[in-house]
Amino acid sequence: MDELSSMLKSARQGKRQQVKWSRRTRENFVLGMIFLLPWTIGFFAFTLYPMAASLVYSFAEYHPKAPLEFVGLQNYTALFNDELFWKSLSNTVYMVIIGVPVTLLMSFFCAVLLNLKVRGQSIYRVIYFLPSIVPTVASTILWLWILNPRTGLMNTMLGAFGIDGPNWLGSPDWSKPSLILLGIWGMGGTIMVYLSGLQDVPISLMEAAELDGASWLQRLRHITIPMVSPITVFNLITGVIGMFQYFAQAYVFRGGNSLGAPLNSTLFYSIYLFQNGFLFLKMGYASAMAWVLFVIILVCTVLLLKASERFTYYAG
Amino acid sequence: MSRQTLPPAIPSNDLESYEQRQNRLQQAQMRRLIQSVLSHGLIILTGLFFVIPFLWMLLTAFKPDQDVSHTPPRFLPYDYKRVAVNGEMLPLYNVQTETGVKQLALIKITEGVGEFVDPAQPGTVLKYKIQQGKTRIAAPIEEISFRWQNFSDAMQRGSRPSVGASFWVYLKNSLIIAFFSIVGTLFSNTPVAYAFARIKFPGRDLLFILVLATMMLPFQVTMIPLYIMFNDILGWGDSFLPLIIPTFFANAYDVFLLRQFFRTIPEEMCDAARVDGASEWDIFTRVILPLSTPVLATITVFTFLWAWNDFTGPLLFLNSAKNFTMALGLQDFQGQHTMVWNQMMAAATVFTIPIVIAFFFAQKTFIQGIKLTGLKE
Repeated sequence: MDELSSMLKSARQGKRQQVKWSRRTRENFVLGMIFLLPWTIGFFAFTLYPMAASLVYSFAEYHPKAPLEFVGLQNYTALFNDELFWKSLSNTVYMVIIGVPVTLLMSFFCAVLLNLKVRGQSIYRVIYFLPSIVPTVASTILWLWILNPRTGLMNTMLGAFGIDGPNWLGSPDWSKPSLILLGIWGMGGTIMVYLSGLQDVPISLMEAAELDGASWLQRLRHITIPMVSPITVFNLITGVIGMFQYFAQAYVFRGGNSLGAPLNSTLFYSIYLFQNGFLFLKMGYASAMAWVLFVIILVCTVLLLKASERFTYYAG
Repeated sequence: MSRQTLPPAIPSNDLESYEQRQNRLQQAQMRRLIQSVLSHGLIILTGLFFVIPFLWMLLTAFKPDQDVSHTPPRFLPYDYKRVAVNGEMLPLYNVQTETGVKQLALIKITEGVGEFVDPAQPGTVLKYKIQQGKTRIAAPIEEISFRWQNFSDAMQRGSRPSVGASFWVYLKNSLIIAFFSIVGTLFSNTPVAYAFARIKFPGRDLLFILVLATMMLPFQVTMIPLYIMFNDILGWGDSFLPLIIPTFFANAYDVFLLRQFFRTIPEEMCDAARVDGASEWDIFTRVILPLSTPVLATITVFTFLWAWNDFTGPLLFLNSAKNFTMALGLQDFQGQHTMVWNQMMAAATVFTIPIVIAFFFAQKTFIQGIKLTGLKE
C-alpha cells in the first residue's frame, strides 16, 4: 500500500518536471519498452480491445456474421425489468454476504488451531490444506456425491446422530448452503494466508500480555485479531471479488439438471451472464451485464477499503 | 485458562515446602496435559471434516457397482465373495437350508428362485427361494475388496465414446495445454518483470500500476469479445490456441510475483556486470534468471495448477469432445452418466493425483506461492 502511494506520487512528479531526456534515459526507455513488449501486446489484444469491444456491444444487439445493431441504453434498461437478473443478483449477494464471512471465520478458526503448538503440527497442516488443491470440478462432483440425499455420506452420518438431513441438492433453501460448505472444504489457501499472518505476530507481544495476566481469549481478542486485520481485509476483498464471479462450482453443481437448478436457486450472476451470452446468444445483453458486474465489484472494493481503514491495524 | 486457575507464579510465602512445590509442579503438568489433549482433540475433530470427503472420493473409486448404491453407504468397498465352480467365478451366498445355513454359489435367479450349487459338490443344482415372505433365505456374502478395474474402465470410457473421446484423451489434452501454458508464462513474464524491477525508464511506475489494475478486471468483461475474436476473427474455434496463446503475453500476477523476487537480488551484482560491459539482456539472462530458480519453480507449479484446474476457459473455447480437458470431460461425464459414482470418483482421483504428487514434491514452493499471492486458484 505504502509502496503504491509513493509510486503514484513519483509518477505525478515525473509528469510535472518534463525535462529533456538524457541519452541514457532515452536508451533505457527504448530498452524498457522492448522488455515490456509481451505485456504491451497482450494488454492491447486481450484486455484493452476486449474491454472497448464489450462496452460497444453493451449498447448494441449482436448478431453473428452481421453488423452490430445499436440500441442505445436498451440492454441496460432491460436489465432492470428482468426478473431473472434480480434473482441472479440476489443469489450472488447471498453468497457474498453469508458465504464469504462464514468462510473467513472458519479459516481463521482453522488457522488458530493449526498455530497451536502440538506434536504432528505439520501433518495437520497438510490435511487441512490438501482439499484446496483438488481441482474445482472434481471437488464439486465429490460433494454432489456426498450430499446425495439418499445414498450420500452426509445424511448417513447426520442420521447416526439422529439428525434428519435436508435435501441438500434438491431444495432451493439448501443448495446455496451446500455450495458454501463445498467452499469451506476447499479454503486451505485462505487458511495458509491466515496462518502466515499468525506466525508473524511477535512472540514478545504475546509473552508480555501473558505476564500481565491476559487470558488466551483476551490475547486473541486484543492482540491476534488486530494484528491479522490487514490479512482479513485482503482475504475479504479477494473473497468478495471472487464470489461475484462465482461460476465453475455452480455450473457443475446442478448435475444433469438445467443451469440454476433447483428453481433458479443457484442461478448466480456469472451463470446467468454465461447463459445469456453463449446459450441464448444475447451477447449485447450479456456485455451489459458484465459492465454492471464490473461497476458493482469496483464499488464494493472501494467501500470495503474505505471501511477497513477504521478497523485495520498496520504495524510499523 | 483464566487468570484465577493459574497457580501463583511466585509462591505466596517465601519458603515453599517440598510438598507444596511438588504439588504445584504436578498441577502445572496436569494442566499442560489437559491442554494438549484438548488441542489435539479439537484439531483432529475439525480435521475430520477435511479428510473424510477426501477419503470418500478414494474409497468410492474402488467400489464395485452394486456397492455404490448400497443403503446405508459403507465406508470401505465391499464386493461379493466369489468361488470358482466348474471354471466359473460365482458369488457365494449364505443360504438357509433344511440342515442349517450353508455357503452355496449362485448360478442364476429366476422369478425369485435361485439356482445354487454347493462348491464341494459341483454336480447337483439346488433350488431355494431368495426370499420367503419378509425373511431372507439367501444373502450374498461380502468381503472388503478394492476394485482397481474401475480406473481402467473409467479412463477408457469418457463422456462420449461414440466420438472416440476417453479420459485418456482428456488427460493428454490437459497435459498439452498445461505444458504450453507453463512455457508461455515463463518466457513472457520474466522480461516484463525484469524491466519493472531493474531498468529505470520514465513512466515505469505508472505502467506498473496499470499492470496491477488489470487484476481488478473481471473475466466476464473481456470474455465475450475474446470469444468472438478467437472464433470468428482468428478462426481458432475448438482448438487449444485460445487457451495457450494468451499465456505468451504476460499477466499481472506473475509479473508482480517475479518483480518482487527480482528486486531482492542485490543491485550490485547487476552493476558489476554492467561495468564489465554486459548488456541488460546479458544481465537478465546470465545474472538474474539463474538466481531466480525458486520463484520460477513457484510460477511453474502455479501455472500448472491453474491450467489443470481451469474450467471456464475450456468450456468457452472447446466444443468437440475429442478436445476436452480433464475438467471439462469430467463435468460432461457427470452430466451424462449421473449414477456411476465409482467410475466418476476414479476419474476424479486420476484428475487430482498429479496435483497431489506435485504438492508432496514441492510443498515449500506451494505454500510460498500461496503466501506471496494470497491466491487460491
